[in-house]
Amino acid sequence: MARSSTTSDVFNAIAEAHRREILDTLIAGEKAVGAIVNDLSMSQPQVSKHLRVLSEVGLVSCRAEGRRRLYRLEPARLRPFHEWLAKYEQAWNDRLDRMDDYLKELQQRGEPQ
Amino acid sequence: MTPTGHGSTVIELPNDRDVLITRELEAPIALVFDVLTKPEHVSKWFAGPGEEMKECSIDLRVGGNYHFVFVTEDGTEMSFRGTYLEVEPPTRTVETWLFEGRPDGDAIESQDLHEAHGVTTLTVKLAFSDAAGRPTRFEGMQESFDRIDDLVRSLLDPSGTVSG
Repeated sequence: MARSSTTSDVFNAIAEAHRREILDTLIAGEKAVGAIVNDLSMSQPQVSKHLRVLSEVGLVSCRAEGRRRLYRLEPARLRPFHEWLAKYEQAWNDRLDRMDDYLKELQQRGEPQ
Repeated sequence: MTPTGHGSTVIELPNDRDVLITRELEAPIALVFDVLTKPEHVSKWFAGPGEEMKECSIDLRVGGNYHFVFVTEDGTEMSFRGTYLEVEPPTRTVETWLFEGRPDGDAIESQDLHEAHGVTTLTVKLAFSDAAGRPTRFEGMQESFDRIDDLVRSLLDPSGTVSG
């Protein structure tokens, strides 16, 4: 049985620059493989390979329209990544806020440096 | 300045390996340097509410080591250690940075201070190594990341306001 994709799979999928370019071009809307190939300087097999990885982790979905397969971005899947980044930013911000408060306290007390 | 009276922290991810953190502090540069490099000061702000500072040692000289450990509310130990490579009071330190936790990470950290008009700007750069153990999470962050993240932020927060 295929294991379901995890947050780290999403991290890994977007770790590759070409895959991020594909996600970027899909921001504009649903596209067929040919259109993605036109947008980016990548070969069709390359694009197909990356689309497969992105589909496996759920970052893109695909539907058939006649003989064409159209790919679209599923941005909700980026939520764990976004949440991780927000937490990381929060942790730094909180730590530096504490340092800032402590600096203010020291200056108010007029403690020798 | 935010309503909390704090300046804001700016975090940038200029490439795959680096994280840049910038923060303005209303204090003279010498005091900020001390607060960053003396254990009696670091132990006052490094750990957060509910966290307990367990170890805080600093041997501030080239080749000297530092080790900070705090314990989180759920009992997890977070350990940061390294060796000073450059010590130039009150403007700069460079040190190796090893985070022992999950996932482990190692980087070269530089902390630069610059004072102008009574405000000291702290710039922390973490340059993660290419060696095994680099946090995978930092690999995903090149220029295109910003656009994707903007998109995600706008989708998650339809009002278009981004806090922080």
